[in-house]
Amino acid sequence: MRYALADPSHPSGAHAVAVTPYDEMIDPTGEVRPHYAALAQRVASLAEEDLAERQRLLERFFLLQGITFTVYGAESSTERIIPTDLLPRIIPATEWATIEAGLTQRLKALNMFLADIYSGQKILMDGIVPRELVLGAPSYRREMQNLFVPHQAYANVCGSDLIRKPDGGFAVLEDNLRVPSGVSYMLANREAAKRTLPGSFRMAGVRRIEEYPDLLLSTLRSMAADWRPNPQVVVLTPGVYNSAYFEHAYLARLMGVPLVEGRDLVTHDNMVYMRTTTGLRRVDVIYRRVDDDFVDPLSFRRDSSLGVAGLFNAYRAGNVVICNAPGTGVADDKAVYAYVPEIISYYLGEDAILPNIETYLCREPSQLSHVLANLDSLVVKAVGASGGYGMLVGPHATQAEREAFAEALRANPDNYIAQPTIQLSTAPCLIDGAIDPRHVDLRPFVLSGDKIRVTPGALTRVALRKGSLVVNSSQGGGSKDTWVLGEGDGLEARP
Amino acid sequence: MMLARVADSLYWIGRYVERAEHMCRLADVLLNATLDRTESSGQVAGMVMSAITDGHHDAPLSPWDAALAITMDSENGGSVTAALARARENARQVRDQLTTETWERLNLIHLRVTGEGAARDFSDAPSQFLHDIIADLHLFKGAADATMSHGEGWGFLQLGVFIERAQLIGKLLQAGFGRNLGRPVTEHAAMTALLRMSCALEPYLRKHTADIQPTLIRQFLMFDEDFPRSLRFSTARIEEHLSSVGRNVDLGGGAGPERLAGRLKARLLYADPKALGGEESDSLVATVLEECARLHEGIYDTFVAYSLEMRLPA
Repeated sequence: MRYALADPSHPSGAHAVAVTPYDEMIDPTGEVRPHYAALAQRVASLAEEDLAERQRLLERFFLLQGITFTVYGAESSTERIIPTDLLPRIIPATEWATIEAGLTQRLKALNMFLADIYSGQKILMDGIVPRELVLGAPSYRREMQNLFVPHQAYANVCGSDLIRKPDGGFAVLEDNLRVPSGVSYMLANREAAKRTLPGSFRMAGVRRIEEYPDLLLSTLRSMAADWRPNPQVVVLTPGVYNSAYFEHAYLARLMGVPLVEGRDLVTHDNMVYMRTTTGLRRVDVIYRRVDDDFVDPLSFRRDSSLGVAGLFNAYRAGNVVICNAPGTGVADDKAVYAYVPEIISYYLGEDAILPNIETYLCREPSQLSHVLANLDSLVVKAVGASGGYGMLVGPHATQAEREAFAEALRANPDNYIAQPTIQLSTAPCLIDGAIDPRHVDLRPFVLSGDKIRVTPGALTRVALRKGSLVVNSSQGGGSKDTWVLGEGDGLEARP
Repeated sequence: MMLARVADSLYWIGRYVERAEHMCRLADVLLNATLDRTESSGQVAGMVMSAITDGHHDAPLSPWDAALAITMDSENGGSVTAALARARENARQVRDQLTTETWERLNLIHLRVTGEGAARDFSDAPSQFLHDIIADLHLFKGAADATMSHGEGWGFLQLGVFIERAQLIGKLLQAGFGRNLGRPVTEHAAMTALLRMSCALEPYLRKHTADIQPTLIRQFLMFDEDFPRSLRFSTARIEEHLSSVGRNVDLGGGAGPERLAGRLKARLLYADPKALGGEESDSLVATVLEECARLHEGIYDTFVAYSLEMRLPA
């Protein structure tokens, strides 16, 4: 099948310069990049029906496994699968080495930052990060002050969003240190890819990601107090109606630990127990997939029924560990993000291996006026929002949308940051039977407990609408498998 | 060790799966009976209706409408599709406790009976449609048996299956032979229909040959030792699974549902089938139904909704 590059004359505003996005498969001269050669050859040899058949196989796999999300309608609800693309995204070993080093460095520094702001606050005293930015952030948790966190590992699971810029370099778009999700799709996509493209998979020499649940369990166990033999780990889910429920159940099953809801847990004498058929049983580590606000109605939101009353006190008393720690959100705040390179050099004395995207803080009057003047070329994001909500993509917005957003910006500038519209890289996708480029990002998952562990794989999110730069699944995004190649890039395996 | 909520869900999966299978058979037999233009088809329809409504049906439906309601009516909590949807919803909530093989079977049935073509498939070839569901449910049970650990979770699943089964067969016995529910079944066709609904026709013929008699049918469905749907067989399994899941519960001196299960098992084990007249049989069936209902509550109180004060660590 034929594959043509994305059109460089992309819809863009008056100030935006038309840039050709980096394509993962084809270099600017039109040649297939070496690490994609085997796959390109294989795909070219398949007829349109063969590809469609494999795509059907893939979708059936997801439906059968129940990897679905529920769309609630007025009368009935229907289950849909997350759109998944057949063709994998391939990352060569050398590029992965940079990503791995960069993510390790970044998470190490962010954990040190969290440990610092929740104890001595040296970085604030030294004026590296503005005090009000941290202490005034809604995700800053006063309750975490001076609380002992083993290994200073606040963010045990981190899923940073990386993008590839038009020049081919990777950059961090945002960090996710609260309850990052998507890892089950990384694993399920892999399982599906092994069924749909087994030959290409074997030829490519792809690194394994299947150990992720084992590594997650080791990470969680390493957080338990060392005098507790065989610490009991549980996964805490908001319940079956949560859109990520499949993932919670999936991880619990693959780790072999109970999947609990708030109503399964009780606290007594600052200990946490779960209700089993044979009575109460002590819990040591809670991998919670419930937001900070909802974990404990006594400490945070009173109207929450998802959490456990008294959990936070048990945590303070050192009788249970909550992973990720409450209050980690302050380090992935979109305004604090702008300071991450400084945070890295402050704690580690190193330059950031993975750069940030240039960010304008609208709280600074001079930067605000620049943002307002260039709304048609910038992406503006609300500081506290996620999931692609509360966001303006300047070049794709109408004049009316921009004006409405400018209004909101002037009213509450502290709440916004702006970044240039980055042309995310494109990767070949199977769209309506044809192979067409779509914009993608990359979310690798990093674990930190007694040590930092990076899984050689990631969730590649795809903006399925042509030309769209928004990859969130709530906004019409899909995903595809990500193949990180082993040393030698698997090329020697070819005849 | 298993979460109380999880045990409860597994128990309900067992119940709903058994109910769906039974309702499929009822609908199938009902539709079959309409093919013969005999007196007996009326008897069969009456029997099915009183088995599913406990005799309280006000507006009699045509056999076809009744079969449709038993199979597809989403408003009716006892219908096949409703039971399957609930079984699957429970399975989703304890997805981490089921093996992938088991889950896939249940998910597949659910997707098929709620899919777009389901209503058409049913009206085109109802027998085939119902037959496929039963076959799929057997696959589910087989996959569970072959791939799940036969530990505590399995015990709760089986408890659900056998309590539901004992109740369904009990209700069928009441509908077929109960003295207070209109005319007892006498027609040959109606009697074989009764055996079909309990999936007992072939095992019965093997034991008693083609000598179809109400007393023998009743004895077979109540007291046969080896037939997996007889009351005696079901209550023996209930007792067995309950004593295995209850092994680690400290009831602080109380007896719990195990005593009830043991007594129920003994009632059927030590009864003398030949000496039982019609009325005694009726009252034994009524006792079985009543004690199954009490067991159901006892299981919930002992394993799921126990009071915390009793179980706090000393």
